[in-house]
Amino acid sequence: MGIFNTENLEIFSLALFFISFFGIITSKNMIKSIIFVMLIQTAVIMFWLKLGREDTATPIPPIIYDPALLDYMERIADPLPQALTLTAIIIGFSVVAVIITMFNALYRLHGTADWKKLEEVEGD
Amino acid sequence: MLTFLVIVPVLLAVLLFIFSTNITAKIISIVFQSALFVASIYLVMITRDAEVITIVGSYDDILGIILRANSLSAIFVMLTTFIFLAVSVYSYSYKDRRDARTFWFLMFVLEASFIGLFLSGDLFNVFVLIEVSTLVTVILAMYDRKKRNIFHGKVFLLANVVSIQFYLLGLGYVYRITGAMDMERVTYALAGMDAGNLLLPYALLMTAIAFKNTLIPFFSWTPKTNIYRKSPTVVAAVLSGLQAKTSLYLFIRFQEIFEPIAAHDLFLAIGIFTGIFGAVMAICQSHIKMILAYHTISQIGLITVGISLGNEYAYIGGLYHIFSHAMFKTTLFLSSGIIIHSYGTSNVNEIRGVFKRMPIVGAATAAAVLGIVGAPFFIGSVSKYFISSDVGPLILAVTIALSLGTIISFMKFSSMFFGQSELRGDSPKAEVCKSIPVIVMGVVCLAGGIMGTQFIYFFFRYSVGIQIWSYAQKSIIFIVCALVGYLIYKYVVKGNALLSRLGAVSFGFKSVCASMGIFLAALLLW
Repeated sequence: MGIFNTENLEIFSLALFFISFFGIITSKNMIKSIIFVMLIQTAVIMFWLKLGREDTATPIPPIIYDPALLDYMERIADPLPQALTLTAIIIGFSVVAVIITMFNALYRLHGTADWKKLEEVEGD
Repeated sequence: MLTFLVIVPVLLAVLLFIFSTNITAKIISIVFQSALFVASIYLVMITRDAEVITIVGSYDDILGIILRANSLSAIFVMLTTFIFLAVSVYSYSYKDRRDARTFWFLMFVLEASFIGLFLSGDLFNVFVLIEVSTLVTVILAMYDRKKRNIFHGKVFLLANVVSIQFYLLGLGYVYRITGAMDMERVTYALAGMDAGNLLLPYALLMTAIAFKNTLIPFFSWTPKTNIYRKSPTVVAAVLSGLQAKTSLYLFIRFQEIFEPIAAHDLFLAIGIFTGIFGAVMAICQSHIKMILAYHTISQIGLITVGISLGNEYAYIGGLYHIFSHAMFKTTLFLSSGIIIHSYGTSNVNEIRGVFKRMPIVGAATAAAVLGIVGAPFFIGSVSKYFISSDVGPLILAVTIALSLGTIISFMKFSSMFFGQSELRGDSPKAEVCKSIPVIVMGVVCLAGGIMGTQFIYFFFRYSVGIQIWSYAQKSIIFIVCALVGYLIYKYVVKGNALLSRLGAVSFGFKSVCASMGIFLAALLLW
């Protein structure tokens, strides 16, 4: 797998986080801002996925404790981050859907996706 | 029991949306809000003695998601239900609201998400509920289609979505360090920990929380205040009265959770600057809702100062100021809605003679104004008295400067009480339904001042005494401040072109986001 393994996932996700944050700050087009918002969400989700696959303070997943299954339990991933990630994905998806709907309405109104022009038109 | 407080509003909202007509939706919502308010008072009564804990889904407490009501969160729940009750009575007479069902559906969901936020004992649920409440707030703020609030709503939503990513990332680090999501467990696990390890999660989480709080290093007041301008009155009232409170509640909670590293001094300084800045910006405005919106920021600064000072009196004062701020700010927003309807304009410089046209509503509004400037015998004076009761000369000077700023900005606001104006709006007379909540809350503004110690005892089980002599001293300071404020207003502020240009300063979405990065860097370097 080379450098793209789970060990490096944290660095990649943090890098993606700050790259897309930089993108949000600098992009001139509203659509690009929205894309970077989606990317920043992806970065956070990647980070959470990494959390499920490492030795945290509780290496054993918080399911019913059974000494007979101890060997097995130490090898499987922590299910909690995965469950939370799913929730985060759904929320992120719905928020982006609303944002894009709003963008659509704005674009029909003003015919531009440029932040500067929109701020001139709308800000009074 | 706590589950019902969260789930019943949502279920009722769905039922109303499907089955009822507009009129019945209004009536049922008022009845239901009253019942919810009574239930929340009961919750305040029982949580004073012991915490109430509900584990959702009947798992044991390791696996289950916990709802936890302590005395702090119960007060916030009570505030929520009270303000929603006031708002539902207020909007009973809306005639132009053709689709009251949709509106009330969204309002109920918003209420449920606020209550859930206050009761949640789980850090991830806090994230979910913040997202829900932000989304619903934005949709409600754009509700008046004629006013086209889309752009400001979009900036608000985008900025909030970006800030919440910091929260989620910080939460990941918390989970990695402690292996828990439950607030109490996390507090317990972090208690003895080395501050160096906690710096990154603390900085990430606090960036999100401080953004929501509109503290000063952010230009975050830009989306927050711009959204007020065109949103419906009741939504503006809820935004200022409650949404600001959710972030303050989270701020208090996170400072408790991260006790080993909590940067009280930094937030004290930030609070001071926020307070002064908000007051200065409020002076520069002439749109009636914008004055109130900037004022909210100034008051949040004062509350942050009270909470971060670290002495018990100031802490109680800060908490009581949260309550009083919710009271007078909701009153002011609702009555400003009545006034705007009555005069057909939202420019403070054109509205004159409110007392003459609607004496009772005018009196209630005046009570709220006196409360916010901290006049003796009104609600604001008690909380300001406690915040500044046991502090050094620097903080004392700051609080006096803050009340001076408040007084100056409300000189402009209160000039609309007197005089004569021929402007006519849709409904020159104040409607009964709209007046009732304004009057009731105006009375609370007075009662909360006169019986301040009793209120504080009821809320916090904390008996405090107000010393007559120092209270009188504070009152004299207030009167001097009022005179000075009047003079400054008359000779400096009035008609100053520079100030109104300053008031129009507003930042774009990109600088708002950049400020998040700056704040994160500042916290990491602190």
